[in-house]
Amino acid sequence: MEKESKISNMADLVVGISDLKCSRQPNDVIITYALGSCIAVVIYDPMARVGGMLHFMLPDSTLDKTKAAASPGMFADTGVPLLFKSCYQLGAEKKRMIVKIAGGASILNDADYFRIGQKNITAMRKLFWKNNVLINSEDTGKNCNRTVKLQLSDGKCFVRSSGGAVEEL
Amino acid sequence: MLDRILLSINKLPAFPATVQRVTELLRNEDYSVNEIVSVIKFDQAITANILKISNSAYFGVRQKIKTIQDAVVYLGQQHLVRAIQTASVSKFFTKKGYGDKASDLWEHSVAVALMSQILSRQLHQKENPVLYTAALLHDVGKLVMGEYVQDASKKIFELVNHHGYSFLEAEEEIVGINHAELGGRIAEYWNFPEEIRDAISLHHRPNLIDLDENILTSLIYLSDQFCLTMGIDGGMDGLAHRGFSEVTKKFQLREIDVEKNMLLLLDQLKQANELLRIVDK
Repeated sequence: MEKESKISNMADLVVGISDLKCSRQPNDVIITYALGSCIAVVIYDPMARVGGMLHFMLPDSTLDKTKAAASPGMFADTGVPLLFKSCYQLGAEKKRMIVKIAGGASILNDADYFRIGQKNITAMRKLFWKNNVLINSEDTGKNCNRTVKLQLSDGKCFVRSSGGAVEEL
Repeated sequence: MLDRILLSINKLPAFPATVQRVTELLRNEDYSVNEIVSVIKFDQAITANILKISNSAYFGVRQKIKTIQDAVVYLGQQHLVRAIQTASVSKFFTKKGYGDKASDLWEHSVAVALMSQILSRQLHQKENPVLYTAALLHDVGKLVMGEYVQDASKKIFELVNHHGYSFLEAEEEIVGINHAELGGRIAEYWNFPEEIRDAISLHHRPNLIDLDENILTSLIYLSDQFCLTMGIDGGMDGLAHRGFSEVTKKFQLREIDVEKNMLLLLDQLKQANELLRIVDK
């Protein structure tokens, strides 16, 4: 079975902006492109081999409740809980979850109002802190655009920054 | 290297006369749609793309548009013009610029153009077709700079990552010219009016112009900042561009406006799929 699944087409599940995807198929790869100031939250339960990724855009759903109801993945405060719940449904457990985050970049000399990246990082850290979840590793801030990939087979997570090489997160 | 780059401008195909004519017609506020149609109907490549775009959800037309005449009847003046501009500019996006594929730079350009109209409606209560054209073309310099910058990317990122340079400043240091200025020269070669040339040349440096006099520059700068922030940057320069708070202050853009505009743009991009897909990967 293991061999077969490796030979079969590696399925790329692409997570769009304001979207989330979860899976327990070992041959799946979840990927999101072009993070900018948005943040990818990647979670993985190594025992159940269940993983998921969220690509949220803004920190706080009070900005537009209707939009938040239609696409909860748009905001940190609605997207993160949904990401965890969706993985629980596939058999993951909170206590085993490995959490990685990437994104939240900003424009240089960020003195003006384009501080979304920093706000996103802060909102997400607060959210995890309140819910007793540790962030295992992160690649956030700076001025680069990022692509993030999660391999369901082993839970390995890779980040490619604009102009940089691929690195494991 | 700079000489070679400047020479390669002259190898670019001429900008379709069609579009120049249409742009001229548009500068007059009471342009006639019939006049515009009579100009475009002889350009088959543009016509084909106009028809593809016209059926985009972005324009919200229920009838299937099969001919230019259909487009004129159902799209309405403003949308027809939008479709013509998009179709004609798109044919130059055959190179990958700073991204992995040509469609990356095109997507960024369309996103900046859509955002420029969102801002124009908010700040001036109307859309601005000249701004739309300038916004679509703002990164045209990257089409020519692309290969040079990709080759020199190691040196450029050394300056950006370790020496506090913006991407633009690193381009100047390593390549000898930045993509915005080069874009301005291309616009000059294509005989675009001065305000469009300036807007392209200075779209990363709105601090160098009088904000009241050249509205195109600051709106394109702002629209570009929105798209870079949202990750729709079209290439390896990412967010490594400078922000100037005097522009956001000038337009009294509050943080909440910025966030709401990001939501608006996201909606429009979803509807504008056909506009994005006319450039092949």
